[in-house]
Amino acid sequence: MVVDGTSENDQIILATGGYDHTIKIWQTHTGICQRTMQHAESQVNALEITPDKLSLAATGYQHIRMYDLASNNPNPTVNYEGITKNVTGVGFQEDGKWMYTGSEDCSARIWDYRLKSAHAAKIFQTSAPVTCVCLHPNQVELLVGDQSGVIHLWDLKTDHNEQFIPEGDTMILDIDVDSEGTLMAAVNSKGRCYIWSLTFGRDGEPTKMYPKHKFEAHKRQALKCKFSPDSTLLVTTSADQTARIWKTCDFSLLQELKQENQRWVWDAVFSSDSQYIFTASSDGYAKLWNVKTGNMEREYAGHQKAIIALAFRDATV
Amino acid sequence: MALYDNKLWLLSHIRDSFISTDDTGMSELVLIGDDLPKQLADNLDWYRDPDDSDDDEDDMNREPYEMHLDMDFEVRRQRSNTAVRLEKMDIAKKRAAKVKHIKWEVSATAPTTEELDNLFVRKDIKQNQTVGKKSLLSEQLEKCTNLPQNPYIEYAKFDGSAQIGILTRKYKIFLTMLPEEHRNYPMIVSCIATAKIEELIGFILLKCSTIHGDFPLKPVSHYGLYITEEDGEVDHDFPNLDPKECVAKFGFTCLGLVEHKQITKNVSFESSQILIQNESAEDINISIHRKIKGDEAKQITANMHLMKVHATAMEAPLYQSYRVYIVNKMRAKAEIQLGISGEKIEIDPLQQKNTKFTFVRQKPVSHHIDSVAWCEVTDTKSSGTTFRVVYSSSFGNNGASSNVNANVTQSPTLQTSTSFKHYDFEADHNTAEEIVQKINLILELRSSGSRKEYLASRERKQKRKTLHTNK
Repeated sequence: MVVDGTSENDQIILATGGYDHTIKIWQTHTGICQRTMQHAESQVNALEITPDKLSLAATGYQHIRMYDLASNNPNPTVNYEGITKNVTGVGFQEDGKWMYTGSEDCSARIWDYRLKSAHAAKIFQTSAPVTCVCLHPNQVELLVGDQSGVIHLWDLKTDHNEQFIPEGDTMILDIDVDSEGTLMAAVNSKGRCYIWSLTFGRDGEPTKMYPKHKFEAHKRQALKCKFSPDSTLLVTTSADQTARIWKTCDFSLLQELKQENQRWVWDAVFSSDSQYIFTASSDGYAKLWNVKTGNMEREYAGHQKAIIALAFRDATV
Repeated sequence: MALYDNKLWLLSHIRDSFISTDDTGMSELVLIGDDLPKQLADNLDWYRDPDDSDDDEDDMNREPYEMHLDMDFEVRRQRSNTAVRLEKMDIAKKRAAKVKHIKWEVSATAPTTEELDNLFVRKDIKQNQTVGKKSLLSEQLEKCTNLPQNPYIEYAKFDGSAQIGILTRKYKIFLTMLPEEHRNYPMIVSCIATAKIEELIGFILLKCSTIHGDFPLKPVSHYGLYITEEDGEVDHDFPNLDPKECVAKFGFTCLGLVEHKQITKNVSFESSQILIQNESAEDINISIHRKIKGDEAKQITANMHLMKVHATAMEAPLYQSYRVYIVNKMRAKAEIQLGISGEKIEIDPLQQKNTKFTFVRQKPVSHHIDSVAWCEVTDTKSSGTTFRVVYSSSFGNNGASSNVNANVTQSPTLQTSTSFKHYDFEADHNTAEEIVQKINLILELRSSGSRKEYLASRERKQKRKTLHTNK
């Protein structure tokens, strides 16, 4: 299928990847798989679409690979190497100036991914393998979670860093900051969810974090947490085979997204109007749920094995 | 051009020479992955001319050399294996060349504050502007809330395209239920090797439904896959592939998807023209076939139909055998071979599998074609179609057909009740249709005494019936 170049930015892109070494691009409203790309050497750990919507980054063992979204090339076009272990997370500065990654070789890195500014590259070493990375919406602070349970707040400009340990020796699995930069959530391997309220750092000052709330989100380990774009909801996914949507006003449960035999729910992402949510699970299906009703609206079938990662870019009307 | 003082060139030369003189091909397996000369050169020579390390350029410098080897040095020996491998390696190299590799690198000099200010800009977080705006996803979903889900979507997971590390199978599938002009070329389908035949059918139908848009398709159980010739002619001599079996069990690459029930004749030309418009971009090869204009396509279809009628009429008296079930009065079935030719109809029992006792003991019998009076389809069920062959039992006894005629004149009423017997057979719909058509064509050609007599007696019966009802 040839993608119309002019309507590039009005496009919805949904990409999924996991253990079957393929990445699939879906037509969201029909559930038809538009394209399959090969991720030959390893499973896909994380996916992210570049801000210009032209490329898709996929991380695996030791590599980050970039795929062209505008062409039909099933092979990657760029391969980033130099990491010795699994790359667990990837993301981009909102104008595409640089790329950030987190990896199990105990580091978070800033990449000059377009080879435009040689001095962008930076590395931040941690004492335990990095499980997740999240960029604060202010674009200068990177939150890094690791297996020993530490959350690092790394100021990219000053290289100043701070540590937070919500629960000792309990692996942090995901961190998210809401779009307004006022709330931060982190989930751990015991299924607990921690909430902090953030204050805006004045010029040059780092963001201050104040513990706000803590609750048992899941009985088994929680895998992902994401705020909705309107900051009113938080979704957590878990090994207990559910995804749960919480209201951020009081952190009460709004919906439980559950389906018989869907197994681990690995990833979730909201639509731009916070009305729908995509989930990825070990049964090899990506699913679309209606947030209001909690009903499943679409199913995306085609992967042979578990889906671990989702990347989604919505557009507004 | 610097050659012998160029380490990169020398290493490359050694490598290529080694590959080209190694008949076993093992060297390529070892050397295929990395561009060893370049890596070695990088390690050995830090002061190498930067031009040499330039990826694109040295590839171009070295490649013509590899190709010259054959011609200039006239290496005359059997090296087809090596040549093939070299070609593969070349393709792999070209593909790899398309991937840009970027190594992790931190610049030795610290960035200036200006650069830092430029790269890491603290953004003022304003109120989220997209809040309240409707998402395109929501809009699209609302537009097609009543969109019927593709019934075959569950079969999407058997897609074998772009799979890695999983055995897949590629098939040419002829879709016999589509209009004539779409039937003549195969659809290429790749599925995973562990799929069952019925799952392959489901996946074919999914693909078919996305390509041929609105063509009505039925549940998977309505279709069967048959061994098919390269030209798309379905081989009905063999039964359809067992839907419960794994695709890997069968070695055929060319298959025909056949609907068990007859619907193809209902397809009108209007719908086929819609299909032509619906052609998708991915079937460029296929669309070449379709570029025949509407009228021409119609003409061709009509001609093809005529040819088909002609051919079946011509072939009718030729011997052909079918595997069908014979059904006795107790409704028990036994598989037999039914042989039909211009001379006779033969029924041969087949070895019954897994049955210790059979309800139907069918002896091999043969009937002269002139004793056969009638053939018709009696019942059509989803499981199969039953058809009846009526024959004159007195034909053989009396020795000659002229005697039959004599009998008729003597006592026609007796004759009808005693001398005509029938066999009931059951087969899948297509086979049954074909057999009935074949027998009827032969009967029409010969128009034997038995047939005339049977028709006459049927007419009499009918008259009697109408008389009774009129009373």
